[in-house]
Amino acid sequence: MPAYRDAKHYLRLFALLLLGFSSLAHATIFSVNNPRVHQIGNGYVLNAQIDYPLTPRVIEALHNGVPITFFQELKLVESFPILGRFWQWETKLWQTRLHYELRYHALSEQYVLKALETDDQQNFPHIEGALQALGNIQDLSLPPEYTQETADLLLLIRSGLDLSALPTPMRPGAMISSKWQLTSPWVRAVWP
Amino acid sequence: MAVNQPLGQSSMALAFIKRLSSGTAPYFSLALLLLAMAWLLSAATQDSSKLNDLFLVIFGIGLLCLLLLAAILARSLYRLYRDFKRHEAGSRLTVRLVSLFVLLILVATTIVYGFSIHFLHRGINSWFDVKIEQALNDSLELSRTSFGIRMRTLLRQTRMMAGVLSELPDSELSHSLRDLNNLSGALEVSIWGMDGTPVASSIETPTIMVPDRPNDSIISQLLQGEDYIGLDPTENDDLRLRATVRIPRQSVLAEERMLNVLFPINDRLSDLGETVQAAYTDYKELSYLRKPLITVFTLSLSLIVFLTILVSIWFAVWISRRIVEPLQDLAEGTQAVASGNYNMQLTASGHDEIGFLVRSFNQMTQRLTQARNASQRSHRLLGQQTSYLTTVLGSLSSGVVTVDKRLYLHTANNASSKILGVNLQQRLESPLSKLAGLNRNMQTFCQMIENCAGRGLNWEQQIEMQKSKGNQTLICHGTRLPNEAGWVVVFEDITALLQAQRHAAWGEVARRLAHEIKNPLTPIQLSAERLQRKYGSLVPSDQSEGLNKLTDTIVQQVEAMKEMVNEFSEYARTPALQLQWHSIGQLIREVLTMYQSNPNHQFALLNSREDIQVRVDANRFRQVMHNLLKNAIEACEDADSPVDIVISYHPLESQQRQWLEIHIRDHGPGIPDDIIDTLFEPYATTKHKGTGLGLAIVKKIIEEHGGDVWAENHGPEGTSIIIRLPLEEHRS
Repeated sequence: MPAYRDAKHYLRLFALLLLGFSSLAHATIFSVNNPRVHQIGNGYVLNAQIDYPLTPRVIEALHNGVPITFFQELKLVESFPILGRFWQWETKLWQTRLHYELRYHALSEQYVLKALETDDQQNFPHIEGALQALGNIQDLSLPPEYTQETADLLLLIRSGLDLSALPTPMRPGAMISSKWQLTSPWVRAVWP
Repeated sequence: MAVNQPLGQSSMALAFIKRLSSGTAPYFSLALLLLAMAWLLSAATQDSSKLNDLFLVIFGIGLLCLLLLAAILARSLYRLYRDFKRHEAGSRLTVRLVSLFVLLILVATTIVYGFSIHFLHRGINSWFDVKIEQALNDSLELSRTSFGIRMRTLLRQTRMMAGVLSELPDSELSHSLRDLNNLSGALEVSIWGMDGTPVASSIETPTIMVPDRPNDSIISQLLQGEDYIGLDPTENDDLRLRATVRIPRQSVLAEERMLNVLFPINDRLSDLGETVQAAYTDYKELSYLRKPLITVFTLSLSLIVFLTILVSIWFAVWISRRIVEPLQDLAEGTQAVASGNYNMQLTASGHDEIGFLVRSFNQMTQRLTQARNASQRSHRLLGQQTSYLTTVLGSLSSGVVTVDKRLYLHTANNASSKILGVNLQQRLESPLSKLAGLNRNMQTFCQMIENCAGRGLNWEQQIEMQKSKGNQTLICHGTRLPNEAGWVVVFEDITALLQAQRHAAWGEVARRLAHEIKNPLTPIQLSAERLQRKYGSLVPSDQSEGLNKLTDTIVQQVEAMKEMVNEFSEYARTPALQLQWHSIGQLIREVLTMYQSNPNHQFALLNSREDIQVRVDANRFRQVMHNLLKNAIEACEDADSPVDIVISYHPLESQQRQWLEIHIRDHGPGIPDDIIDTLFEPYATTKHKGTGLGLAIVKKIIEEHGGDVWAENHGPEGTSIIIRLPLEEHRS
């Protein structure tokens, strides 16, 4: 009875569709820890550690040959306080989005992590090693043209899964499923 | 006002919602939403990274479209239901059509949907095969095994290299590494501290400056005392082998290091390995995506089918209404025609059969209108004809009645009612047998018609009727109506005519009698007087008395005969009337004064309210009054009744003319029934004396004045003589 099974499946999907948004907050999501800006010479660099607690659904997809794309987003914002700390006028100065692809190489049994912007590739025998390497932001230099004056500068950072990079049939399901909505909130980096 | 305001606002809001949900607003909204969704979809497909952000918006708009469509459909269906409940014209046909369409749509789409889903599952599942999967797994395993043998060899080789290197001082490391590199055929040989710091390296490829650092996982594995050997995929999708081993320490104090060697894999093997890897990964991914693929396809198909069903049902409702609308108009038009409104014209739509039907209906109503107008014209004409005929019949002095073949009275004019003394107009459509029961006269009349109806085409019959004024003679002509529709009977009162003929005959008799008898009377009288005078003295005295007696008798009888002859000549005489205006009251009083000398005679004149002027010959009217009064007094005296005569007069309207009616009433014994009809004819007297011409003269004089006279018995209370004289307009 494939039709009956499918019907059950759609019902579940529909229920997810209704509950997905509300259950979003309860899922384990990525978290940006200890984002700190350091001054090195005249420039500024960012150090941070991002935790990537992947859900079993994501790991299942990864092991089934689906490449998972992560993004790390950084935003430099100039903030003018209008009403103290309650209300600030913010101007976005700079924003960048770095993409990393993690896939499982079955033949070598390696997890291949690739920076899509630079094509740099690293291989890891364990997924934990790959996620740790991905989450370890070490001395990421900030654009010097915006960091002349750092008094009102805010650096915001977040990371998540780029669902649009998923294979098309998976996208609709992923976009409404809390198992795939793992993007961290924006976190302010500590400025020196 | 404070209470009404929220009500007003809510009603305004309700009205706004009603306005939004009615008319074409929902369709425009739907079109706008669809446009927006198309734009968003095109934006999302142009930039796939936007899809993540736009997905929810597109999803929401899609859902909104669906809801709106469902609402539009619900509204259409609700209207249909409402019309059906109200039994509005055409609603049943619409519901039937919609049901049929919906059934067709549902059956067709369900079949297509079922088959599509089935083929979808079959199609997608047929991509996968257990054997292929096993083959791929096996080939992957084979590749791994094949690489495993080489890896073990290389690991041993690397460990030997590490053993060699462990015995060399740091100063020779660089050189030795180069040698080892050359000897082993490795791509890269490097020594690293256990903290990941580079010590020395030798790289085969001159373009690569920095040696490939073993990552932290490998280092931690080494730290746990386990050497590492593994395949290493590169950025170019090539494969190489990485072997990382600890370099044995010569002394406890010496720094721990590791040797990292990257070995190439020959191109053929690498290509084969990559092919197997790619095929395995693709198959695995496809197999993994099977479920979401089926889900997405099924969802899309279901959505499309659902949308199709919604749109089709809506279209079914719309097309059914379109089809039924002219039929509905036709039904209303037919009802209007049935209720008598022939001016109904429908708007012809299209050139199909329904349009033809509508045009035919319009032609029919036009023809009906023309026919009705013609019929109305005919009816009017008929009415005019009828009223013309009625007027003609009404003005006829002859009575005209028609009876149908069942002998029911069909028409009767005024004169017929007057002549028969029964209002026949009120008894139209009554059978003659019923009319016959009204009185004796009607019985005679109806009997006559019933008897004669069986005769030929025409008949003529004279009948006698009893009236209060005397006998009435009617002459009746019957004619059969065309198509045996009955009979028309024309009858006339010829009583007056007959009387006139009798009077003329009597006048002639009287004139001749007077002429023939009066001439010898004077010589007879003169001879009798001479006989007495001449021979009275000659006869003996005892006989002279007898002679005188005889001659006196002759003279008296001659005198009486003279008087009688004079009356005859008076009756026959028709001198020209000396008509003058007189007060009727005065004339009557003048006559009465001559009779008031006798104290036994009672006379009373009941004065009318106004003094009525009448145009009469005074002398002859006085004679009428004398004759009548004398007659009355003599009648009373003969019967030893007290003489008590009451005279009254009054104007009245009869037969569309003004009349003066004079009643002279005595309290005598009355007139015997057998002579009341011939009372006014000569010699119709019961008295012992008199010529019997008095009342005949009265009638003659009254008729000369254009009037009428008749007698009415009041039983034991006496008799009335009634004179009717025409009243003309008073002279100016």
